[in-house]
Amino acid sequence: MAAISLSAIKKNYGETSVLSGIDLSIAEGEFLTLVGPSGCGKSTLLRILAGLEAPSSGDVLIDGKRVNSVRPADRNLAMVFQSYALYPHLTIAQNIMTPLRLRDLSFAERLPVAGAVIGRKKHRMLHRQVEETARILKIEHLLDRKPGQLSGGQRQRAALGRAMVRNPAAFLMDEPLSNLDAALRIHMRAELAELHRSLKTTFVYVTHDQAEALTMSDRMAVMMDGNILQLGTPDEIYNNPRDIRVAEFVGAPKINLLAGHLDPAGHARCADVVLSRVAPSACTDVTIGLRPEHLALCDPTDPEALKGRVIHKENLGADIYFHTAIQDGASRLVVRASPVEGSAISIGHDIAFKRLHGLAMVFDPSGKRMDLMTEPLEHVSEVA
Amino acid sequence: MPSSRAHWWFIGPALFLMAVILLMPIGIAGVMSFTNYSLGNPGADWVGLENYEKIFTRSTYQKMFGATFRYVFVVVPLSVGLGLGAALLINSTKRFGDFYKTIYFLPVMAALIAMAIVWEFALHPTIGIVNSTLEKGCGTVLESWSWFSQGCDRGFPLWLTDRDYAIWTVAFIGVWQGFGFNMVLYLAGLTSVPRELYQAAEMDGAKSAWERFRLVTWPMLGPTTVFVVTISFIRSFQVFDTVEAFYPQGGGPSKSVYVMMFAIYEKAIQQNLMGIGAAITVVFLVFVMFLTLAQRWLVEKRVHYS
Repeated sequence: MAAISLSAIKKNYGETSVLSGIDLSIAEGEFLTLVGPSGCGKSTLLRILAGLEAPSSGDVLIDGKRVNSVRPADRNLAMVFQSYALYPHLTIAQNIMTPLRLRDLSFAERLPVAGAVIGRKKHRMLHRQVEETARILKIEHLLDRKPGQLSGGQRQRAALGRAMVRNPAAFLMDEPLSNLDAALRIHMRAELAELHRSLKTTFVYVTHDQAEALTMSDRMAVMMDGNILQLGTPDEIYNNPRDIRVAEFVGAPKINLLAGHLDPAGHARCADVVLSRVAPSACTDVTIGLRPEHLALCDPTDPEALKGRVIHKENLGADIYFHTAIQDGASRLVVRASPVEGSAISIGHDIAFKRLHGLAMVFDPSGKRMDLMTEPLEHVSEVA
Repeated sequence: MPSSRAHWWFIGPALFLMAVILLMPIGIAGVMSFTNYSLGNPGADWVGLENYEKIFTRSTYQKMFGATFRYVFVVVPLSVGLGLGAALLINSTKRFGDFYKTIYFLPVMAALIAMAIVWEFALHPTIGIVNSTLEKGCGTVLESWSWFSQGCDRGFPLWLTDRDYAIWTVAFIGVWQGFGFNMVLYLAGLTSVPRELYQAAEMDGAKSAWERFRLVTWPMLGPTTVFVVTISFIRSFQVFDTVEAFYPQGGGPSKSVYVMMFAIYEKAIQQNLMGIGAAITVVFLVFVMFLTLAQRWLVEKRVHYS
């Protein structure tokens, strides 16, 4: 277990800047996810933390000690790679034992035959550790196989075993689930989170999949263009994004964005969509963000009803998402409905829906979130 | 269409060519090795195993085996080892990699006959650059080495014409000429080693270059090594041009460089004893076959991992 902190990390490749001054501190035992689209620098940051790459400037601290000049092997971190990077010529047992052999055995004890005799006790201990790890991951029956004979999920477990076996200070994971099929990925999400709870070790997890970040992490850092846009719990990030890019990246289907403006009173409006809460400043162009679950089907006679035509229907079983054209096709909104309400509606139908109050987000022209106040200013022209 | 004979038209030409230009010559050589046929004779007598008996009893052929095996077992390990070493070094440099590649590959591209003439000059006992350089070392600390002081007293070896040195000198030239080729093969093999494996090894605690080599590089180069070793064996069994260039009169000082290829050439072409030449060829083929098969059985199973 270790607390990790990164301060003012910058990384340039020649002229191109990949990371521009990252500050991040990771608490002991925390599951922190770095999430962002590809090319945002998240993997580079993880590799800098591992020591596989050197930062152009800035410090990496593990348990308060500066480790910039400590080589990866001495940082006591374990890494799970996207390709698993198992040694193809060794069996799974040998793969898992490799970090133990390299760290705990002397050169003489590693010799092919003599070594087993010289360090008999140690060897037996290593075997026990390997078996214990295999038991936790339920791969005991695979120990004698080579990586080439295993399926993706089994290789993934073997790679985890190799990382776990020596109780590292922290686990670094570089998109470990991205090579698995969808069902297995969802299953492994739960398993990884469980593993983290039982090991109580610091996890730093890199992914481009916002669902993985939301489901597993204690905290997540959304990265874009070499910066951390927002750092917080999955709840905070999802419900209270501070930047339009965060709001867009997190959540599936994507948040609905409507181009609008603030009227003199401070209400954000986009044609017939008008918010009752007010922004502190006034009279600028803004973007209104509405998540699909902020909209609900309603009766067409409802005074707050918005009307639109369904142009696409996504049925996910538990939810149905209607892509609707509103304002005569000027904008599009995705509306979530339950199967009970939505099963009768099909493409081409006109539907009515309303906004749930107090949930819409407003972003200023630079993409920053604007905090809205509930108490209306003196004259309220509309309710919404 | 059970009655269709179309398949013969597809495989026929290939089968025919294979039989005529690959299998038949080997078969003819095999049959000829039991006769005393000479080129131009209308017929030949069946002599049974006589030719083979000669090969395995006469001292000339014992020398032939001695020279061949000395050459092979010096050239193969050294050219493979140096090839791997050079490839690893070139792979680790960021600059001048292409420059070194070109330099080491030059002997492979050069015509060996021309190179042999250059080496003959360089190794010439009186006007050669090798011995004159060695003589400059006389009177220095190098003389504490007994071989060196002997050389200063009685003259340095005649390299190519001393029967104690000749085969080793030829083997040295074989290594010089061959390792660049192995280097290129290893360089190709090294590009296919995933970088992530090195990073995984580093994270697992492989700190020294040797540990990384043992854990990642060497196993991942397994298939390349099998290929390189097999090719090197076959190439060094086939050594002929250096021997022919240095010793056109046959086999070097007291036949100490009388390698198999040269023996085949001398017997079958120069002396027109096709029977014995064919017998040596068959023995040569058996050696190469045996080595190749042994390679496959022993190693190939263990180097392909998926």
